[in-house]
Amino acid sequence: MPPDGNAVEIRNLVKRFGEFVAVDHVTLDVGRGEIFGFLGPNGAGKSTTIRILCGLLAPTSGSAQVHGYDVAAQSEQVKQSIGYMSQKFSLYDDLTVEENLDFFSGIYGVPHELRAERKAFALRMAGLEDERASMTRLLAGGWKQRLALGCAILHQPPILFLDEPTSGVDPMARRQFWDLIYAMAEQGTTVFVSTHYMEEAEYCHRLALMYKGRTIALGAPSELKAEHGDGATMNDVFIASIERAEEEGL
Amino acid sequence: MNWRRFRAIFHKEALHIVRDWRSLMMALAVPMLMLILFGYALTRYVDRIPTVIYDQDGSPQSRELVERFRGSRYFSIVERQGDYREIIQRINHSKAILGVVIDKDFAKTVSSNSVARVQLLIDGSDSNTASIAAGYAEALIMAYSAELREQQIVRRGAGKMETPIDVRLRVLYNNELKSKNFIVPGLIAVILMIIAALLTSLTIAREWENGTMEQLLSTPVRPNELLLGKLAAYFLLGMADMAIALALGVGVFHVPLRGSLLLLTFASALYLFGALCWGIFLSAVTRTQLLAYQASLVSSFLPAFILSGFIFSISDMPLIIQQVTRIVPARYFVAVLKGIFLKGVGVSVLWMDLLFLFVYAAIVFMLASRKMRQKMA
Amino acid sequence: MWERILQIVRKEFRQTLREPRLRTMLIMPPLIQTIIFGFAVNLDVEHVKLGWMDLDRGVESVELRRHFQGSPTFTITHEAGSEAEAQALLDRGDVQAIVRIAPGFSRDIGSGKQAQAQVLLDGTNSNTAAIMGNYATAVIATRNRELLGERQREKLVDRTAAGPILLKIPGVEPERRVWFNPDLKSRNYFVPGIIVNIITLVTLMLTALSIVREKEIGTMEQIMVTPIRPMELILGKTIPFAIMGMFDLLLITGVALAVFHVPLRGSFALLVFAGALFLLSTLGAGLFMSTISETQQQAMMASFFFFQPTFMLSGFSFPIANMPTLVQWVTYLNPLRYFMDIVRGVFLKGVGIEVLWPQLLALAVMGTIILLSSALRFHKRLD
Repeated sequence: MPPDGNAVEIRNLVKRFGEFVAVDHVTLDVGRGEIFGFLGPNGAGKSTTIRILCGLLAPTSGSAQVHGYDVAAQSEQVKQSIGYMSQKFSLYDDLTVEENLDFFSGIYGVPHELRAERKAFALRMAGLEDERASMTRLLAGGWKQRLALGCAILHQPPILFLDEPTSGVDPMARRQFWDLIYAMAEQGTTVFVSTHYMEEAEYCHRLALMYKGRTIALGAPSELKAEHGDGATMNDVFIASIERAEEEGL
Repeated sequence: MNWRRFRAIFHKEALHIVRDWRSLMMALAVPMLMLILFGYALTRYVDRIPTVIYDQDGSPQSRELVERFRGSRYFSIVERQGDYREIIQRINHSKAILGVVIDKDFAKTVSSNSVARVQLLIDGSDSNTASIAAGYAEALIMAYSAELREQQIVRRGAGKMETPIDVRLRVLYNNELKSKNFIVPGLIAVILMIIAALLTSLTIAREWENGTMEQLLSTPVRPNELLLGKLAAYFLLGMADMAIALALGVGVFHVPLRGSLLLLTFASALYLFGALCWGIFLSAVTRTQLLAYQASLVSSFLPAFILSGFIFSISDMPLIIQQVTRIVPARYFVAVLKGIFLKGVGVSVLWMDLLFLFVYAAIVFMLASRKMRQKMA
Repeated sequence: MWERILQIVRKEFRQTLREPRLRTMLIMPPLIQTIIFGFAVNLDVEHVKLGWMDLDRGVESVELRRHFQGSPTFTITHEAGSEAEAQALLDRGDVQAIVRIAPGFSRDIGSGKQAQAQVLLDGTNSNTAAIMGNYATAVIATRNRELLGERQREKLVDRTAAGPILLKIPGVEPERRVWFNPDLKSRNYFVPGIIVNIITLVTLMLTALSIVREKEIGTMEQIMVTPIRPMELILGKTIPFAIMGMFDLLLITGVALAVFHVPLRGSFALLVFAGALFLLSTLGAGLFMSTISETQQQAMMASFFFFQPTFMLSGFSFPIANMPTLVQWVTYLNPLRYFMDIVRGVFLKGVGIEVLWPQLLALAVMGTIILLSSALRFHKRLD
């Protein structure tokens, strides 16, 4: 077990692609068991940050630790401790639900004796028990997302990264998906989730607002709203923060 | 057909081609590589045949024969004094193709005015090289034999005797028998196929895989506009390759271009158009890049290489395969290429082949256009 | 480790074998290619369409014509009455060669002078032209020997008490013994070579796309965040295609034996073993290209770019011994060259490990290096 402390610690993280600065000196911490939201318009640097935290991209400068491991130097240990669901649906379309689960179970090295139980859990959680033999490409959008989540938690990772998991999914399915996230957090999993839906931001314990690669606001939803006066919605907070950032010459 | 929509598609395709510089480099480099290989390295011209000699006699007469093998540029003696085992060893290890065995009573036989035999042991695996090697060796021995006879006849006072029929071989179109002279023109047919079938078959399949096709379907673009827009971009690329091949072939490898450049350009355009339509047709049918690539490789590139008469002559194929070659457009194009490059003939001779290329292009265009319409409906 | 490899293997098999079109692709193209190319790839010159241009029309020209008609190689299909007609026949490709007999041919032979015959050859395929020239010369040489024999009989008689007898004169006769392929059929040489090419094409293509396709679909990103090691992924991707490649190898070898009656003189087990070593190289090369490519199109172009020169420099149809020395050195880096040697050695010569071990060793070394470098080249990062 890695040392205690925060699930995620980011210090002055910078990522450049040529001239373009995708992540610009981001610093933040995520505590264990927290549901941490990453809110921001498209292109704000949310996905890039998550990919760095998953060890998929190397940071240009700064550092980040996930589950106590450095993402640049110890990316393999990081990968043992996380589950990741990318923005684009990325399971095998031409395998069945069960085959996808079996595959990832094997790749994550879930012990044999636990596999059946984990698979049953993932199927139950995703509500796919009756669809286990269906070809994945035939599933509806919401189910696909839940299956992807199911595949990402088979090895019971302490930290889960979800990159816009609910984009393109209908409101009912989104609601169900968040129930799953809550259930996960209750069991002690840290959930790091990005979204551009304002109402989803409200579900998070804490939030970071990202804009042009920077965090322009950080705190619990209620704190953020309180800063902007009575009756402010998340939307107001968002717009006000962006305007302030623009004035500061971002 | 709306000109503006066509232009938009064309522009998009051109951007794809130019942006994906790796593919572009390969599209331009493959032809050059093939030309350079064929121009410099690849030839079936047989000389310096690795030969082991086993002279059991060692007499002046037998050594005279060995000297003739040594003096000929067709043979390269790897072992002067081998034995049977040596010959078998060398041939098994592919270090020699020919073994020459001279009997130990060679001189005695010749001196007693009898016919001596020289054994030629030949590795027949590459039958083409083998038969040419055997031909050279036999000719050399026969010439030696003729001299022996003549000496004997003259000694008996019978007077010199001339060969009754003198054969003169005259090779037309390619009098130095350089293989690059027929391979380089034929290569153009293969190169155009690579661009047309391999690159193009991927483009529509890619749009299906990436989902951009759905996006295009929601616009008022018509199937033919899409088809021609895509086609035009790759057409230019293909013609650029053709120009490179032509410049290298004529400029660097000095392949003669005896006929009309204009006719050559016209025929290439016709062939390229048909090939491009075929590529697009395949990609519309298969919808996945993997299958499109496989299908185009099997149905266009390999036939262009093997069934076109480019290297392997059609008249020596079995009848059924000869019939199959009739539907291979490259066959007609190769005939046109050889006609224009080497023979210097024009439309009066090549009109049938050109007509077929035209009919082929027209049919494949209609097929592709129909398939696009079906898929888009 | 084996667990994760097994998972990848199982997944690849499922994905490939479930899709009917992919299944067909594993069987039909190799089969069709083997059959068509087996029949088509042939450098023997057996049927030459010959034009006859006789400006003499005497006894001797008719006699020579009879000799050409008797040859299995030549078929006289056209007659030409004038130079222009002869030129047109060759231009149109109606005939491949024309025998032109000058006026006075029969008269010259009758009077013991040297007569002239000309053979016009279509040189557009230099290989065919050279062989046609040889055959035509041989036909005329036979006639020459007959004529010469008659003349010598007139002059070289000796009178003895028993009457005239023919004097003996010396000579040297070459005696051909062709090994491995006594009928000199080029099919026996090419069909084993076709096996090599088709196996290369199929395996290269399947693997070249396998990683880059997952990159394009996005599933590779999902795999990269798992604890899998690059070597595990590479092996997992190699094994299924190796098995499919072996299946194709057996399939085409069967066709070569059944349809083309190519002799298999050596050990079948050695052929299979060498095939397995060879697949290391092609699969490794395919995977390597897949790891360096960003799109499937690039991967396909790259695999084509790899296949083209390796195919041409394998000695399949152009003998390596004929290449410039520098290029010959380059061919030592070409795995196809070694497998080509092995396949032809096993099929035609019936030789075994004692002769082919250097080639086998080369394949093993190259395959391992290529496979390892593709594992090293594969990074679990997106940038």
